[in-house]
Amino acid sequence: MSWNEKKSRIATGFVAGSALAGGWYTSSAALLSGGAAQTVPIVGAIALAGLVPLIAMNFRSTPARSTIDDSLKQQLSVLKKHTMVNVVDIDNRLVEVNDLLLEATGYTRDELIGQPVKMLYASDNHITTAEIRDFLRQGKGWQGQTTLRHRDGSSCVTQTTVTPLRDADGNWIGSISARTDITATTKLIARRDTAMTLHELRDDIWIVSEQDLELRYMNLAAKARFGWAKRPDDGLTVRDMSRDNGCEDVLEACLRIVDTGETFTTFSAQIGSKKFDGSIKWLNKGTADGRLLIMLHDITERLEQDQLQADFISMVSHELRSPLTSIKGSMGLLLSKAAGELPPKAEGLLEIAHRNADRLVLIINDILDIEKISSGRLDFEMETADLSELIAESLRANAMAHQRFGLQIKCRGVDTSTFIETDANRIIQVLTNLMSNAAKFSKPGGVVEISVTKNEEVVSVSVRDEGMGIATEDQHKIFQRFADMANSDRASKGGTGLGLSICKAIVEGLGGTINFVSDEGRGTTFTFTLPVKTRHSEPDKDFERLENVG
Amino acid sequence: MIKLLHVEDDADIREIAKMSLELSGDFVVEQCDCGEQALEKTLDYIPDVFLLDMMMPGMTGRQTLEKLRENPNFANVPAIFMTARAQPNELEELRGIGATEVISKPFDPMSLADQIKAAIA
Repeated sequence: MSWNEKKSRIATGFVAGSALAGGWYTSSAALLSGGAAQTVPIVGAIALAGLVPLIAMNFRSTPARSTIDDSLKQQLSVLKKHTMVNVVDIDNRLVEVNDLLLEATGYTRDELIGQPVKMLYASDNHITTAEIRDFLRQGKGWQGQTTLRHRDGSSCVTQTTVTPLRDADGNWIGSISARTDITATTKLIARRDTAMTLHELRDDIWIVSEQDLELRYMNLAAKARFGWAKRPDDGLTVRDMSRDNGCEDVLEACLRIVDTGETFTTFSAQIGSKKFDGSIKWLNKGTADGRLLIMLHDITERLEQDQLQADFISMVSHELRSPLTSIKGSMGLLLSKAAGELPPKAEGLLEIAHRNADRLVLIINDILDIEKISSGRLDFEMETADLSELIAESLRANAMAHQRFGLQIKCRGVDTSTFIETDANRIIQVLTNLMSNAAKFSKPGGVVEISVTKNEEVVSVSVRDEGMGIATEDQHKIFQRFADMANSDRASKGGTGLGLSICKAIVEGLGGTINFVSDEGRGTTFTFTLPVKTRHSEPDKDFERLENVG
Repeated sequence: MIKLLHVEDDADIREIAKMSLELSGDFVVEQCDCGEQALEKTLDYIPDVFLLDMMMPGMTGRQTLEKLRENPNFANVPAIFMTARAQPNELEELRGIGATEVISKPFDPMSLADQIKAAIA
């Protein structure tokens, strides 16, 4: 190579190196913060500006190290300490790697030279070598994060700048990549982001030592709660706050978790006039650095809203039922001849009115239930109940309807007691509803069969009728509210159109499932399952992710 | 004959309840339209059973019963609540405050007498 050729390559290299250095500085400064933001980008930029011409000189040529001046030597030395560098040819095969890159990947130079560059990359890289080449082909550089794979399977995240290399005639002949290991920085940023999130969270976060319950950290919301603009004094403990700030419930929960040795607990707390759902996660349990992460979620407003809504529902319920009591009562007395004999036509009309007043009562009850379901206030009173007894009670409630339609009732699997942990009244409501539907849609004299099967964990109850079945096109909406709105039979059959959606909410709320199979013209079987024992909810998974914070 | 004191603010419901209870032939019914009137009435009237509406202006049915219970004469007189508010799950709670029975509104006028007799039997 003549000196002119060398000069030309060095000139090309400096242009590329400077571009690379500028890009590196901008991207790394943006990525890093604090002290690292001031040093890493500058060092990297200097290194890149110096390295690229060197590599360009050596690229596919005789080494020209004797012509490198002292300044470039120094820059190369700096570069070697801070940046992983590799050069690839036009086919994306490695032609040069520096020692730092060999160290980061665990390979020898001989193992890498001549291999495709993607050999360096971990499989989870979000950018492919082909995508980077698209930039290079257009004469553009590429900057971003790449993950390198060590031969032992580990990986490291790098901030990478790739710049195309051209020969003296401007032909694209390969590229040069400079990378800095930012694995530690990435983790730090992730932790800082999590810490920032905690700090600005609307919930109150406290972190206290497990030994003496001394307060180590409080986020903004928690400090604001006590009117503290800055961190409370050193040495303040939850015991002090229990005594001086009304945090008895928090202290009690802390003492309980330390006493029982659980790693997670939830509790209810009141501080002043505010009410909270609280939880405690024990971090670094069993080490000298054991801490309790306490999270308090203010539910005061929600409880007030719930109360207002409950009051409203209660009031509506009362206001509607009171006049209905008089209407139904008066008609009931007339029909029972309390006011003497009635002409047959008048009696018939009165029966219609009475039956529809009954229906109104059902609708009011159903609407109240639907409202509770919608607002998430469908509460269950769990107890141990004998499913066979609940079925017997539901059959008694439906006896009149069964008699009216001349139905045969068959029961299977109800001879022995089946004890389950559930809300007995709500299950009677579901059973009554399914039995009532089966009766309403059965042919006169038809069979309704109730069967119970069980295993150790689940009981399954089926109510089968031999009625008209559900049309295939209507089956998908059967659990929707007013699903049978279009059914002209609904009014005559006395349904509210809400029953099945309530059944579904109840069964699912009790941890079970409900479904049906229907054969149009031949009948329908509704089946619901219930857990034998109530499943207890598990600790919030989100809390797991906070484990490393603090 | 069972002497029953019915406390209910709604005049229509008072009339229906009185008619349905007297129709059974087993009850003599006295009525008041509020808790305060019931306290006054019981100064010289000792019923065998109280039938109390829950929601009334002024004293509620619950408060009325608490006041009545202060009189040793009424410490053991059965009390039946009538309520338009209660859902099945809430009935237990009302029993917990001293109700012998809780009857939901709308009630069935033809079985009201039987329900009360069963409760105090």
